[in-house]
Amino acid sequence: MRKALALAKKELAVYLTTPWAWVVFTGMAFISSFFFIASLLTFKQVQEVARQAPNGWAQLPPDYQAFRNLTDGVVLNLFSVILVITLFAAPFLSMRLLAEERRQKTFELLMTTPTRTIDIVLGKYLGAVGIVVCTLSVTLVFPVILSILGSSESGTALEWSTVLLGYFALVLWGATCMAIGLFISSLTESQMVAAVITFAVSITWMLIRAVAPGVDEPARSVLAYLSFDTQLQNLMKGVLDLKPLIFFSSVIAFFLFLTHRSIEARRWV
Amino acid sequence: MAMIEVEKLTKKYRDRVAIDALSFTIDEGSIVGFLGPNGAGKSTTMKILTGFMPATEGKARVAGFDIFEKPLEAKRKIGYLPETPPLYPELTVRGYLKFVAELKGVPGKQVRAEIERVSTATGITSELDRLTSALSKGYRQRVGIAQALLGDPALLILDEPTEGLDPRQRKEVLELIKSFAGRHTVVLSTHILSEVKAICQRVLIIHRGKIVANDSMEALTKGKETGLEDTFIQLTSE
Repeated sequence: MRKALALAKKELAVYLTTPWAWVVFTGMAFISSFFFIASLLTFKQVQEVARQAPNGWAQLPPDYQAFRNLTDGVVLNLFSVILVITLFAAPFLSMRLLAEERRQKTFELLMTTPTRTIDIVLGKYLGAVGIVVCTLSVTLVFPVILSILGSSESGTALEWSTVLLGYFALVLWGATCMAIGLFISSLTESQMVAAVITFAVSITWMLIRAVAPGVDEPARSVLAYLSFDTQLQNLMKGVLDLKPLIFFSSVIAFFLFLTHRSIEARRWV
Repeated sequence: MAMIEVEKLTKKYRDRVAIDALSFTIDEGSIVGFLGPNGAGKSTTMKILTGFMPATEGKARVAGFDIFEKPLEAKRKIGYLPETPPLYPELTVRGYLKFVAELKGVPGKQVRAEIERVSTATGITSELDRLTSALSKGYRQRVGIAQALLGDPALLILDEPTEGLDPRQRKEVLELIKSFAGRHTVVLSTHILSEVKAICQRVLIIHRGKIVANDSMEALTKGKETGLEDTFIQLTSE
């Protein structure tokens, strides 16, 4: 385990010196702040409408009810945007994990020191999750701003338990994207190829629900169930639900297993 | 005692045979030159001995441990410098050596002393805080050797350690390797015969995947100045 941690630490240290990491951080900050401001404006408008309506919130359509508080009206909206940005950003963060080791010939170093393949996989993966956590923590600034400057009819401006649960879900989602990316990065020496294929796999998997209506049962239910989109909707509701948790953990375990097999198999070529 | 025992080691890449039923042993404490023309199978043999890739057939034991059955124990005995020094350009020399020491399982408290020891031995103490990407080729090679020395392995496998160095650096690296005699068993691959003559006690010549000579230096040079060259050319001519 010490070796896995050493590898994870090295991965993070190397990562934070690459321009890619900072491009992704900046992209995350820029795009999410754009949507943050947009949802704040919407929030303000709806609040305005509610104030002028004679019966207040009771009169407004159900769509508007989410805007009664900052947690549902702003933060959860923002989370669904961050989720999509993560889908786009993760391939760029995961592409170099193993591809770069092969290109630089440092892979020989990893494989000839007394390190088990499982330690290499776990170390790389821990590093990858660390990078996703860094990327996501850039957006922590928005809930912090809201909790300082915002106010609510009852209690604190934000329901922090919901916000933190949302972040947990985002990290789990990011970790899933990175597991897919790690495996694909183990197949090629080219970072670009790794990024493109990772993105193709993630987005197809995300949207696979769309083809479900066109096929017969039981394939339809299976496809609908397997779709990231379905599982994410369960995950992002802000309630603790075990089912998506198990789903994403299984996907991660599956891809780590594939990475392990791929590293072992590549030695035989 | 034999440090390396190889029995009928064969490696095929699809239908191309890279090495063909190699058998040899290398004794503890000696410096062995591993020679052969380009493409003879030197690197392949070294990659198999270090456990980087499995053989198609045959057995290899390092310090008594079978490299396929007990890879972790065998790898603990080996320090390996591949053809290209495996450096991370983003890390400093110190950070890099620390990382490799951790991978090799050097106990936490000894890591510092161990880095000190190998960097003194390879003459890189002044470069410890530079990025490996900023080093000259000679220093990169030395860092590669320093990395192989971490954990004080009994066996050093060096794949063309003097490749691409200028004559002065070449001499320094050879002297460094020569100083390992007795303390480490060294297997050194190269195609520069004068280097082998300068530091090796035994020579192993491989040609088209087969061993064509495995003898002491005196026997191969036959006492003549150009003896090694003559023998080499004769054995690898067809």
